[in-house]
Amino acid sequence: MELIEIDQVNKVYKKGKKQANIDISFSIREGEILGLLGPNGAGKSTLIKQIVGLLAPTSGEVRYKGTNVLKQAKKVASEFGYYAQEPHALGALTAKEALLFTGILRGLAKKEAEKQTMGLLERFSMADLAGRPLKKLSGGQKRMIGIGTTIIGDSRVLVLDEPTNELDPLNRRLVWDIIVEQNRKGATIILVTHNVLEAERVVDRVAFINHARLLEIDSVPHLKQRVDGRLKLELTAVEGEAGYLMRRFEEWGDIQQTGENRLRLLIDKNRASSLLDWMVHTSDLPIDEYAMLPPNLEDVYLYIDGQKEKFAEERAANAIEDAEKVGSYVG
Amino acid sequence: MDNALAFVKGRMWTELYILFRIQVAIVREQWMWIFVMATIFPLTTLLSMKFMYGVTSEQIMVNVIVGNIVFAIIMMGFNALGTEISWQKHAGYFTFYSSLPISKAVFVVTQLARGLMTTLPSVIIMAFIGQFAYGIHLHYEWGLIPVFLLAVLSMVGVGAGIGFWSPDHQMTNMLVQGLMMFVGFLSPVMMEASQLPPVLRYIGYIFPTTYSASALRELLTKGWTEAVTIDVIILIAFLIFSFAVISRMISWRAAE
Repeated sequence: MELIEIDQVNKVYKKGKKQANIDISFSIREGEILGLLGPNGAGKSTLIKQIVGLLAPTSGEVRYKGTNVLKQAKKVASEFGYYAQEPHALGALTAKEALLFTGILRGLAKKEAEKQTMGLLERFSMADLAGRPLKKLSGGQKRMIGIGTTIIGDSRVLVLDEPTNELDPLNRRLVWDIIVEQNRKGATIILVTHNVLEAERVVDRVAFINHARLLEIDSVPHLKQRVDGRLKLELTAVEGEAGYLMRRFEEWGDIQQTGENRLRLLIDKNRASSLLDWMVHTSDLPIDEYAMLPPNLEDVYLYIDGQKEKFAEERAANAIEDAEKVGSYVG
Repeated sequence: MDNALAFVKGRMWTELYILFRIQVAIVREQWMWIFVMATIFPLTTLLSMKFMYGVTSEQIMVNVIVGNIVFAIIMMGFNALGTEISWQKHAGYFTFYSSLPISKAVFVVTQLARGLMTTLPSVIIMAFIGQFAYGIHLHYEWGLIPVFLLAVLSMVGVGAGIGFWSPDHQMTNMLVQGLMMFVGFLSPVMMEASQLPPVLRYIGYIFPTTYSASALRELLTKGWTEAVTIDVIILIAFLIFSFAVISRMISWRAAE
Protein backbone atom coordinates (compact mmCIF):
# COMPACT_ATOMS: atom_id res chain seq x y z
CA MET A 1 0.00 0.00 0.00
CA GLU A 2 1.27 3.46 -0.96
CA LEU A 3 1.64 5.55 2.20
CA ILE A 4 3.27 8.68 0.79
CA GLU A 5 2.94 9.89 -2.79
CA ILE A 6 5.23 12.52 -4.24
CA ASP A 7 3.44 13.86 -7.27
CA GLN A 8 5.33 16.04 -9.80
CA VAL A 9 7.04 18.06 -7.12
CA ASN A 10 8.98 21.12 -8.22
CA LYS A 11 10.75 23.41 -5.81
CA VAL A 12 12.30 26.69 -6.91
CA TYR A 13 14.38 28.85 -4.54
CA LYS A 14 15.61 32.44 -4.71
CA LYS A 15 12.86 33.82 -6.90
CA GLY A 16 13.35 31.31 -9.67
CA LYS A 17 17.16 31.32 -9.65
CA LYS A 18 17.69 27.86 -8.18
CA GLN A 19 15.68 24.74 -8.96
CA ALA A 20 16.09 22.35 -6.06
CA ASN A 21 13.61 19.70 -7.25
CA ILE A 22 12.39 19.17 -10.80
CA ASP A 23 9.31 17.06 -11.57
CA ILE A 24 9.89 14.45 -8.91
CA SER A 25 7.27 11.70 -8.68
CA PHE A 26 7.38 8.44 -6.75
CA SER A 27 5.60 6.63 -3.92
CA ILE A 28 6.71 5.28 -0.57
CA ARG A 29 5.09 2.04 0.54
CA GLU A 30 3.84 1.40 4.06
CA GLY A 31 6.43 -0.48 6.13
CA GLU A 32 9.37 -0.11 3.76
CA ILE A 33 12.79 1.45 4.26
CA LEU A 34 13.45 3.77 1.37
CA GLY A 35 16.96 5.10 0.83
CA LEU A 36 17.26 8.53 -0.76
CA LEU A 37 20.73 8.68 -2.24
CA GLY A 38 22.61 11.36 -4.10
CA PRO A 39 25.54 13.78 -3.81
CA ASN A 40 25.58 17.03 -1.79
CA GLY A 41 23.27 19.66 -3.21
CA ALA A 42 21.28 17.09 -5.22
CA GLY A 43 17.98 18.24 -3.68
CA LYS A 44 17.42 15.43 -1.17
CA SER A 45 16.99 17.58 1.95
CA THR A 46 14.65 19.97 0.13
CA LEU A 47 12.54 17.00 -0.95
CA ILE A 48 12.22 15.55 2.54
CA LYS A 49 11.34 18.96 4.01
CA GLN A 50 8.41 18.92 1.60
CA ILE A 51 7.55 15.35 2.58
CA VAL A 52 7.32 16.34 6.26
CA GLY A 53 5.38 19.50 5.40
CA LEU A 54 8.01 22.04 6.46
CA LEU A 55 8.34 23.40 2.93
CA ALA A 56 5.61 23.87 0.36
CA PRO A 57 6.38 22.70 -3.19
CA THR A 58 6.40 25.41 -5.86
CA SER A 59 4.16 23.06 -7.84
CA GLY A 60 2.96 19.49 -7.41
CA GLU A 61 2.04 17.94 -4.07
CA VAL A 62 3.02 15.41 -1.45
CA ARG A 63 0.21 13.20 -0.15
CA TYR A 64 0.16 11.20 3.07
CA LYS A 65 -2.55 8.51 3.12
CA GLY A 66 -4.09 10.16 0.07
CA THR A 67 -4.33 13.72 1.47
CA ASN A 68 -1.97 16.63 0.78
CA VAL A 69 0.46 16.94 3.72
CA LEU A 70 -0.11 20.70 3.80
CA LYS A 71 -3.79 20.11 4.56
CA GLN A 72 -3.04 17.92 7.57
CA ALA A 73 0.06 19.59 9.03
CA LYS A 74 -0.66 18.68 12.66
CA LYS A 75 -1.41 15.03 11.82
CA VAL A 76 1.81 14.75 9.81
CA ALA A 77 3.77 16.34 12.67
CA SER A 78 2.29 13.85 15.14
CA GLU A 79 2.85 10.76 12.97
CA PHE A 80 6.28 11.66 11.52
CA GLY A 81 9.59 11.75 13.37
CA TYR A 82 12.02 13.99 11.51
CA TYR A 83 15.77 14.01 12.12
CA ALA A 84 17.15 17.14 10.46
CA GLN A 85 20.74 18.00 9.68
CA GLU A 86 20.42 21.31 11.51
CA PRO A 87 22.12 21.60 14.93
CA HIS A 88 20.19 20.50 17.97
CA ALA A 89 17.81 23.11 19.33
CA LEU A 90 17.84 21.66 22.84
CA GLY A 91 21.51 22.34 23.62
CA ALA A 92 20.72 23.90 27.00
CA LEU A 93 18.84 20.81 28.20
CA THR A 94 20.34 17.72 29.76
CA ALA A 95 20.34 14.50 27.73
CA LYS A 96 17.47 13.15 29.83
CA GLU A 97 15.41 16.35 29.60
CA ALA A 98 15.86 16.52 25.82
CA LEU A 99 14.49 12.99 25.35
CA LEU A 100 11.80 13.23 28.00
CA PHE A 101 10.44 16.62 26.91
CA THR A 102 10.42 15.63 23.25
CA GLY A 103 8.59 12.40 24.13
CA ILE A 104 5.91 14.32 26.01
CA LEU A 105 5.59 16.86 23.19
CA ARG A 106 5.10 13.94 20.81
CA GLY A 107 2.09 12.93 22.89
CA LEU A 108 3.49 10.28 25.25
CA ALA A 109 2.22 10.14 28.82
CA LYS A 110 4.92 11.21 31.31
CA LYS A 111 5.47 7.67 32.64
CA GLU A 112 5.84 6.18 29.18
CA ALA A 113 8.11 9.06 28.10
CA GLU A 114 10.31 8.43 31.15
CA LYS A 115 10.44 4.70 30.40
CA GLN A 116 11.42 5.26 26.79
CA THR A 117 13.95 7.95 27.79
CA MET A 118 15.75 5.63 30.19
CA GLY A 119 15.61 2.82 27.63
CA LEU A 120 17.23 4.99 24.98
CA LEU A 121 19.92 6.31 27.33
CA GLU A 122 20.79 2.71 28.26
CA ARG A 123 20.79 1.71 24.60
CA PHE A 124 23.17 4.55 23.74
CA SER A 125 25.38 3.65 26.76
CA MET A 126 24.73 7.17 28.04
CA ALA A 127 22.79 6.48 31.27
CA ASP A 128 25.64 8.03 33.29
CA LEU A 129 25.43 11.17 31.14
CA ALA A 130 21.67 11.63 31.65
CA GLY A 131 22.13 14.81 33.70
CA ARG A 132 24.76 16.42 31.49
CA PRO A 133 23.73 19.35 29.24
CA LEU A 134 23.83 18.47 25.54
CA LYS A 135 26.28 21.34 24.97
CA LYS A 136 28.82 19.50 27.08
CA LEU A 137 28.50 16.21 25.20
CA SER A 138 30.70 15.18 22.27
CA GLY A 139 29.45 15.69 18.69
CA GLY A 140 28.64 11.97 18.35
CA GLN A 141 26.80 11.83 21.68
CA LYS A 142 24.74 14.88 20.71
CA ARG A 143 23.86 13.16 17.42
CA MET A 144 22.72 10.04 19.29
CA ILE A 145 20.44 12.12 21.52
CA GLY A 146 19.15 13.82 18.36
CA ILE A 147 18.31 10.41 16.92
CA GLY A 148 16.69 9.52 20.26
CA THR A 149 14.46 12.61 20.09
CA THR A 150 13.37 11.47 16.61
CA ILE A 151 12.47 7.90 17.49
CA ILE A 152 10.96 8.51 20.94
CA GLY A 153 7.19 8.22 20.72
CA ASP A 154 7.23 5.43 18.10
CA SER A 155 6.29 7.58 15.12
CA ARG A 156 4.62 5.79 12.18
CA VAL A 157 7.03 7.40 9.71
CA LEU A 158 10.67 8.21 10.39
CA VAL A 159 12.46 10.64 8.12
CA LEU A 160 16.17 10.58 8.82
CA ASP A 161 18.48 13.04 7.11
CA GLU A 162 22.08 11.76 7.27
CA PRO A 163 21.65 10.09 10.69
CA THR A 164 25.11 8.47 10.73
CA ASN A 165 27.14 11.59 9.91
CA GLU A 166 29.97 12.23 12.40
CA LEU A 167 29.36 8.94 14.22
CA ASP A 168 32.06 6.44 15.09
CA PRO A 169 31.74 2.92 13.59
CA LEU A 170 30.15 1.46 16.75
CA ASN A 171 27.46 4.12 16.96
CA ARG A 172 26.90 3.94 13.20
CA ARG A 173 26.19 0.25 13.52
CA LEU A 174 23.89 0.96 16.49
CA VAL A 175 21.93 3.50 14.43
CA TRP A 176 21.50 1.03 11.54
CA ASP A 177 20.29 -1.59 14.05
CA ILE A 178 17.81 0.89 15.55
CA ILE A 179 16.52 1.78 12.07
CA VAL A 180 15.87 -1.91 11.32
CA GLU A 181 14.20 -2.40 14.73
CA GLN A 182 11.91 0.58 14.26
CA ASN A 183 10.98 -0.77 10.84
CA ARG A 184 10.16 -4.19 12.32
CA LYS A 185 7.91 -2.44 14.84
CA GLY A 186 5.96 -1.05 11.85
CA ALA A 187 7.58 2.28 11.05
CA THR A 188 8.00 3.34 7.45
CA ILE A 189 11.45 4.85 7.07
CA ILE A 190 12.85 7.40 4.65
CA LEU A 191 16.59 7.49 4.94
CA VAL A 192 18.81 10.13 3.37
CA THR A 193 22.44 9.17 3.38
CA HIS A 194 25.78 9.43 1.62
CA ASN A 195 26.81 6.17 3.11
CA VAL A 196 25.65 4.02 0.24
CA LEU A 197 27.52 0.90 1.28
CA GLU A 198 26.12 0.83 4.81
CA ALA A 199 22.62 1.78 3.65
CA GLU A 200 22.64 -1.14 1.22
CA ARG A 201 22.29 -3.54 4.14
CA VAL A 202 19.06 -2.02 5.43
CA VAL A 203 17.10 -0.39 2.60
CA ASP A 204 14.34 -2.14 0.64
CA ARG A 205 14.27 0.33 -2.21
CA VAL A 206 16.50 3.16 -3.33
CA ALA A 207 15.71 6.47 -5.00
CA PHE A 208 18.71 8.10 -6.67
CA ILE A 209 18.56 11.88 -6.91
CA ASN A 210 20.99 14.18 -8.68
CA HIS A 211 20.82 17.64 -10.28
CA ALA A 212 17.39 18.10 -8.63
CA ARG A 213 15.87 15.16 -10.54
CA LEU A 214 14.92 11.62 -9.65
CA LEU A 215 17.26 9.42 -11.66
CA GLU A 216 15.92 6.03 -10.68
CA ILE A 217 13.87 4.24 -8.03
CA ASP A 218 13.80 0.50 -7.56
CA SER A 219 14.59 -2.35 -5.18
CA VAL A 220 18.27 -3.02 -4.46
CA PRO A 221 18.34 -6.42 -6.27
CA HIS A 222 16.63 -4.92 -9.36
CA LEU A 223 19.05 -2.03 -9.43
CA LYS A 224 21.99 -4.35 -9.12
CA GLN A 225 20.75 -6.32 -12.12
CA ARG A 226 21.41 -3.18 -14.20
CA VAL A 227 25.12 -3.65 -13.66
CA ASP A 228 24.96 -7.35 -12.97
CA GLY A 229 26.48 -8.17 -16.31
CA ARG A 230 29.59 -6.40 -15.16
CA LEU A 231 32.34 -6.87 -12.64
CA LYS A 232 34.36 -4.30 -10.81
CA LEU A 233 38.15 -4.16 -10.90
CA GLU A 234 39.64 -2.02 -8.14
CA LEU A 235 43.19 -0.92 -9.00
CA THR A 236 45.87 0.84 -6.96
CA ALA A 237 48.38 2.51 -9.29
CA VAL A 238 52.05 3.07 -8.51
CA GLU A 239 52.51 6.64 -7.16
CA GLY A 240 51.97 9.18 -9.95
CA GLU A 241 50.97 6.62 -12.59
CA ALA A 242 47.17 6.75 -12.25
CA GLY A 243 46.73 8.82 -15.44
CA TYR A 244 48.88 6.47 -17.51
CA LEU A 245 47.12 3.40 -16.11
CA MET A 246 43.73 4.93 -16.87
CA ARG A 247 44.66 5.31 -20.54
CA ARG A 248 45.90 1.72 -20.69
CA PHE A 249 42.60 0.35 -19.31
CA GLU A 250 40.23 2.63 -21.25
CA GLU A 251 39.59 0.05 -23.98
CA TRP A 252 38.37 -2.56 -21.45
CA GLY A 253 35.34 -0.73 -20.04
CA ASP A 254 34.20 2.33 -18.00
CA ILE A 255 37.14 3.48 -15.90
CA GLN A 256 37.01 6.12 -13.19
CA GLN A 257 39.58 7.62 -10.83
CA THR A 258 38.25 7.11 -7.27
CA GLY A 259 41.30 8.38 -5.34
CA GLU A 260 44.76 9.82 -5.92
CA ASN A 261 46.15 6.46 -7.00
CA ARG A 262 42.93 4.47 -7.12
CA LEU A 263 40.97 3.49 -10.20
CA ARG A 264 37.80 1.52 -10.72
CA LEU A 265 37.01 -0.32 -13.92
CA LEU A 266 33.56 -1.71 -14.70
CA ILE A 267 33.95 -4.53 -17.20
CA ASP A 268 31.58 -6.97 -18.91
CA LYS A 269 31.65 -10.36 -17.17
CA ASN A 270 32.54 -12.23 -20.35
CA ARG A 271 35.63 -10.09 -20.91
CA ALA A 272 36.95 -10.46 -17.35
CA SER A 273 39.10 -13.52 -18.00
CA SER A 274 40.66 -11.93 -21.11
CA LEU A 275 41.44 -8.84 -19.04
CA LEU A 276 43.11 -10.85 -16.29
CA ASP A 277 45.06 -12.78 -18.90
CA TRP A 278 46.20 -9.51 -20.52
CA MET A 279 47.22 -8.10 -17.12
CA VAL A 280 49.29 -11.18 -16.31
CA HIS A 281 51.11 -11.07 -19.64
CA THR A 282 51.67 -7.31 -19.72
CA SER A 283 54.74 -6.60 -17.66
CA ASP A 284 54.85 -2.78 -17.85
CA LEU A 285 51.58 -2.04 -15.99
CA PRO A 286 52.37 0.21 -12.99
CA ILE A 287 49.98 -1.56 -10.56
CA ASP A 288 50.59 -1.96 -6.82
CA GLU A 289 47.55 -4.16 -6.21
CA TYR A 290 44.18 -5.08 -7.68
CA ALA A 291 40.95 -6.92 -6.79
CA MET A 292 37.99 -8.13 -8.86
CA LEU A 293 34.63 -7.66 -7.04
CA PRO A 294 30.91 -7.97 -7.73
CA PRO A 295 29.11 -4.58 -8.00
CA ASN A 296 27.50 -2.90 -4.99
CA LEU A 297 24.93 -0.14 -4.62
CA GLU A 298 27.57 2.54 -4.98
CA ASP A 299 28.52 1.13 -8.39
CA VAL A 300 24.87 1.12 -9.37
CA TYR A 301 24.59 4.78 -8.38
CA LEU A 302 27.77 5.74 -10.28
CA TYR A 303 26.57 3.75 -13.28
CA ILE A 304 23.10 5.33 -13.34
CA ASP A 305 24.48 8.82 -12.73
CA GLY A 306 27.08 8.27 -15.45
CA GLN A 307 24.46 7.02 -17.93
CA LYS A 308 22.25 10.06 -17.31
CA GLU A 309 25.25 12.41 -17.67
CA LYS A 310 26.21 10.67 -20.89
CA PHE A 311 22.62 11.01 -22.12
CA ALA A 312 22.56 14.72 -21.22
CA GLU A 313 25.92 15.26 -22.97
CA GLU A 314 24.72 13.40 -26.07
CA ARG A 315 21.52 15.43 -26.09
CA ALA A 316 23.52 18.68 -25.79
CA ALA A 317 25.92 17.55 -28.55
CA ASN A 318 22.98 16.64 -30.82
CA ALA A 319 21.39 20.00 -30.16
CA ILE A 320 24.63 21.77 -31.15
CA GLU A 321 24.92 19.58 -34.26
CA ASP A 322 21.31 20.37 -35.20
CA ALA A 323 21.88 24.06 -34.62
CA GLU A 324 25.00 23.95 -36.81
CA LYS A 325 23.04 22.14 -39.55
CA VAL A 326 20.34 24.79 -39.37
CA GLY A 327 23.07 27.45 -39.46
CA SER A 328 24.66 25.90 -42.58
CA TYR A 329 21.29 25.68 -44.36
CA VAL A 330 20.57 29.30 -43.47
CA GLY A 331 24.08 30.37 -44.50
CA MET B 1 -14.44 24.46 17.47
CA ASP B 2 -14.67 21.26 19.51
CA ASN B 3 -11.06 20.46 18.63
CA ALA B 4 -9.91 23.92 19.70
CA LEU B 5 -11.79 23.58 22.98
CA ALA B 6 -10.34 20.15 23.66
CA PHE B 7 -6.86 21.55 22.92
CA VAL B 8 -7.33 24.42 25.39
CA LYS B 9 -8.61 21.97 28.02
CA GLY B 10 -5.86 19.41 27.78
CA ARG B 11 -2.95 19.38 25.37
CA MET B 12 -2.31 23.14 25.43
CA TRP B 13 -1.26 23.12 29.09
CA THR B 14 1.10 20.20 28.55
CA GLU B 15 2.74 21.97 25.60
CA LEU B 16 2.87 25.25 27.51
CA TYR B 17 4.45 23.57 30.53
CA ILE B 18 7.07 21.60 28.58
CA LEU B 19 8.02 24.46 26.25
CA PHE B 20 8.20 26.78 29.25
CA ARG B 21 10.53 24.32 30.98
CA ILE B 22 12.74 24.32 27.90
CA GLN B 23 12.91 28.13 28.11
CA VAL B 24 13.70 27.91 31.82
CA ALA B 25 16.57 25.53 30.96
CA ILE B 26 17.95 28.05 28.45
CA VAL B 27 17.75 30.85 31.03
CA ARG B 28 19.23 28.55 33.72
CA GLU B 29 22.21 27.94 31.48
CA GLN B 30 22.80 31.64 30.73
CA TRP B 31 21.73 33.25 34.00
CA MET B 32 25.12 34.78 34.85
CA TRP B 33 25.45 36.40 31.44
CA ILE B 34 21.83 37.56 31.60
CA PHE B 35 22.40 39.11 35.03
CA VAL B 36 25.51 40.99 33.87
CA MET B 37 23.89 42.13 30.60
CA ALA B 38 20.69 43.14 32.35
CA THR B 39 22.43 45.19 34.99
CA ILE B 40 25.64 46.69 33.76
CA PHE B 41 24.46 48.86 30.86
CA PRO B 42 21.42 50.49 32.49
CA LEU B 43 23.33 50.80 35.76
CA THR B 44 26.18 52.57 33.97
CA THR B 45 23.83 55.11 32.38
CA LEU B 46 21.96 55.53 35.67
CA LEU B 47 25.11 56.32 37.63
CA SER B 48 26.75 58.41 34.91
CA MET B 49 23.65 60.62 34.82
CA LYS B 50 23.86 61.04 38.59
CA PHE B 51 27.54 62.05 38.32
CA MET B 52 26.85 64.41 35.42
CA TYR B 53 23.79 66.18 36.72
CA GLY B 54 23.72 65.41 40.45
CA VAL B 55 20.40 65.26 42.19
CA THR B 56 18.28 68.11 40.84
CA SER B 57 14.49 68.00 40.99
CA GLU B 58 12.65 64.87 42.11
CA GLN B 59 10.75 64.78 38.78
CA ILE B 60 13.99 64.68 36.76
CA MET B 61 15.31 61.92 39.01
CA VAL B 62 12.15 59.90 38.47
CA ASN B 63 12.58 60.41 34.72
CA VAL B 64 16.15 59.13 34.93
CA ILE B 65 15.20 56.08 37.03
CA VAL B 66 12.18 55.19 34.88
CA GLY B 67 14.26 55.81 31.76
CA ASN B 68 16.86 53.34 32.95
CA ILE B 69 14.21 50.77 33.91
CA VAL B 70 12.82 51.03 30.38
CA PHE B 71 16.37 50.99 29.01
CA ALA B 72 16.92 47.67 30.80
CA ILE B 73 13.76 46.38 29.09
CA ILE B 74 15.09 47.56 25.72
CA MET B 75 18.47 45.96 26.45
CA MET B 76 17.15 42.52 27.39
CA GLY B 77 13.68 42.22 25.93
CA PHE B 78 14.47 43.84 22.63
CA ASN B 79 18.19 43.73 21.92
CA ALA B 80 19.24 40.44 23.54
CA LEU B 81 16.08 38.47 22.72
CA GLY B 82 15.88 39.77 19.14
CA THR B 83 19.52 38.90 18.48
CA GLU B 84 19.19 35.44 20.01
CA ILE B 85 15.99 34.52 18.17
CA SER B 86 17.58 35.70 14.93
CA TRP B 87 20.63 33.52 15.63
CA GLN B 88 18.43 30.51 16.40
CA LYS B 89 16.44 31.09 13.23
CA HIS B 90 19.51 31.17 11.00
CA ALA B 91 21.04 28.17 12.78
CA GLY B 92 17.91 26.20 11.87
CA TYR B 93 16.74 25.59 15.46
CA PHE B 94 13.09 26.19 14.68
CA THR B 95 13.07 23.25 12.27
CA PHE B 96 13.11 20.99 15.32
CA TYR B 97 10.17 22.67 17.02
CA SER B 98 8.11 23.02 13.86
CA SER B 99 8.51 19.30 13.13
CA LEU B 100 6.84 18.47 16.46
CA PRO B 101 3.06 18.32 16.92
CA ILE B 102 2.94 21.55 18.91
CA SER B 103 0.97 24.74 18.51
CA LYS B 104 2.78 27.73 17.01
CA ALA B 105 0.87 30.11 19.30
CA VAL B 106 2.02 28.22 22.40
CA PHE B 107 5.60 28.27 21.11
CA VAL B 108 5.46 32.04 20.60
CA VAL B 109 3.99 32.57 24.08
CA THR B 110 6.87 30.64 25.64
CA GLN B 111 9.41 32.69 23.68
CA LEU B 112 7.80 35.83 25.13
CA ALA B 113 7.90 34.19 28.56
CA ARG B 114 11.64 33.75 28.20
CA GLY B 115 11.93 37.43 27.35
CA LEU B 116 9.96 38.18 30.49
CA MET B 117 12.17 35.94 32.63
CA THR B 118 15.38 37.55 31.42
CA THR B 119 14.12 41.12 31.59
CA LEU B 120 12.14 41.30 34.81
CA PRO B 121 15.14 40.96 37.18
CA SER B 122 16.85 43.96 35.60
CA VAL B 123 13.66 46.00 35.91
CA ILE B 124 13.46 45.24 39.62
CA ILE B 125 17.18 45.88 40.13
CA MET B 126 16.96 49.24 38.37
CA ALA B 127 13.91 50.30 40.39
CA PHE B 128 15.60 49.58 43.72
CA ILE B 129 19.11 50.78 42.87
CA GLY B 130 17.72 53.91 41.22
CA GLN B 131 15.78 54.85 44.32
CA PHE B 132 18.80 54.20 46.51
CA ALA B 133 21.27 56.04 44.24
CA TYR B 134 19.20 59.20 44.07
CA GLY B 135 17.84 59.02 47.57
CA ILE B 136 14.23 59.66 46.57
CA HIS B 137 11.07 57.93 47.61
CA LEU B 138 9.08 56.19 44.87
CA HIS B 139 5.42 55.38 45.13
CA TYR B 140 5.00 51.59 44.99
CA GLU B 141 1.63 49.97 44.49
CA TRP B 142 0.11 46.71 43.13
CA GLY B 143 -0.70 48.41 39.86
CA LEU B 144 3.02 48.38 39.10
CA ILE B 145 2.95 44.61 38.53
CA PRO B 146 0.69 44.59 35.45
CA VAL B 147 2.39 47.71 34.13
CA PHE B 148 5.84 46.14 34.53
CA LEU B 149 4.60 42.96 32.81
CA LEU B 150 3.03 44.88 29.94
CA ALA B 151 6.07 47.14 29.58
CA VAL B 152 8.33 44.09 29.30
CA LEU B 153 6.05 41.94 27.12
CA SER B 154 5.24 44.70 24.62
CA MET B 155 8.97 45.33 24.03
CA VAL B 156 9.76 41.62 24.08
CA GLY B 157 7.16 41.25 21.34
CA VAL B 158 8.98 43.79 19.16
CA GLY B 159 12.36 42.08 19.85
CA ALA B 160 10.99 38.63 19.08
CA GLY B 161 9.26 39.99 15.96
CA ILE B 162 12.56 41.39 14.63
CA GLY B 163 14.32 38.11 15.48
CA PHE B 164 11.75 35.97 13.65
CA TRP B 165 11.66 38.36 10.67
CA SER B 166 15.47 38.66 10.42
CA PRO B 167 16.64 38.22 6.80
CA ASP B 168 20.21 37.69 8.03
CA HIS B 169 21.93 37.78 11.39
CA GLN B 170 24.31 40.71 10.74
CA MET B 171 21.47 42.93 9.60
CA THR B 172 19.43 42.05 12.68
CA ASN B 173 22.38 42.91 14.89
CA MET B 174 22.81 46.34 13.31
CA LEU B 175 19.08 47.01 13.38
CA VAL B 176 18.59 46.20 17.06
CA GLN B 177 21.73 48.11 18.11
CA GLY B 178 20.65 51.19 16.14
CA LEU B 179 17.07 51.02 17.36
CA MET B 180 18.21 50.48 20.94
CA MET B 181 20.20 53.73 20.95
CA PHE B 182 17.49 55.65 19.12
CA VAL B 183 14.65 54.46 21.33
CA GLY B 184 16.73 54.79 24.48
CA PHE B 185 17.99 58.34 23.94
CA LEU B 186 15.90 60.03 21.24
CA SER B 187 12.39 59.01 22.27
CA PRO B 188 10.44 59.86 25.42
CA VAL B 189 12.19 57.30 27.63
CA MET B 190 14.87 59.18 29.59
CA MET B 191 12.93 62.42 29.32
CA GLU B 192 9.35 63.54 28.85
CA ALA B 193 7.91 63.94 25.37
CA SER B 194 7.65 67.73 25.79
CA GLN B 195 11.47 67.99 26.02
CA LEU B 196 11.96 66.51 22.55
CA PRO B 197 11.72 68.29 19.16
CA PRO B 198 8.29 67.70 17.51
CA VAL B 199 9.64 65.22 14.89
CA LEU B 200 11.15 62.94 17.53
CA ARG B 201 8.05 63.32 19.67
CA TYR B 202 5.84 62.06 16.83
CA ILE B 203 8.23 59.22 16.00
CA GLY B 204 8.15 58.27 19.67
CA TYR B 205 4.45 57.45 19.42
CA ILE B 206 5.21 54.29 17.42
CA PHE B 207 7.35 52.73 20.19
CA PRO B 208 5.75 50.90 23.14
CA THR B 209 8.55 52.23 25.35
CA THR B 210 7.00 55.71 25.17
CA TYR B 211 3.83 54.42 26.87
CA SER B 212 5.74 52.17 29.29
CA ALA B 213 7.89 55.09 30.47
CA SER B 214 4.88 57.39 30.71
CA ALA B 215 2.83 54.85 32.73
CA LEU B 216 5.74 54.06 35.07
CA ARG B 217 6.54 57.74 35.67
CA GLU B 218 2.93 58.44 36.54
CA LEU B 219 2.60 55.36 38.75
CA LEU B 220 5.85 55.89 40.65
CA THR B 221 5.00 59.50 41.42
CA LYS B 222 1.20 59.82 41.54
CA GLY B 223 -0.28 56.33 41.48
CA TRP B 224 -2.87 54.87 39.05
CA THR B 225 -4.44 57.77 37.11
CA GLU B 226 -6.52 57.98 33.94
CA ALA B 227 -3.33 58.56 31.95
CA VAL B 228 -1.96 55.22 33.23
CA THR B 229 -5.15 53.46 32.09
CA ILE B 230 -4.76 54.91 28.58
CA ASP B 231 -1.08 53.87 28.46
CA VAL B 232 -2.00 50.36 29.65
CA ILE B 233 -4.66 50.01 26.92
CA ILE B 234 -2.13 51.09 24.28
CA LEU B 235 0.43 48.62 25.66
CA ILE B 236 -2.12 45.79 25.51
CA ALA B 237 -2.80 46.74 21.88
CA PHE B 238 0.96 46.65 21.18
CA LEU B 239 1.18 43.22 22.79
CA ILE B 240 -1.70 41.78 20.75
CA PHE B 241 -0.32 43.35 17.57
CA SER B 242 3.20 42.03 18.10
CA PHE B 243 1.86 38.53 18.96
CA ALA B 244 -0.13 38.51 15.70
CA VAL B 245 2.87 39.75 13.69
CA ILE B 246 5.24 37.19 15.24
CA SER B 247 2.77 34.38 14.59
CA ARG B 248 2.80 35.32 10.91
CA MET B 249 6.57 35.82 10.67
CA ILE B 250 7.82 32.70 12.36
CA SER B 251 8.96 30.09 9.89
CA TRP B 252 6.77 27.16 10.93
CA ARG B 253 5.14 24.33 9.04
CA ALA B 254 4.51 25.32 5.42
CA ALA B 255 0.74 25.18 5.78
CA GLU B 256 0.49 27.41 8.87
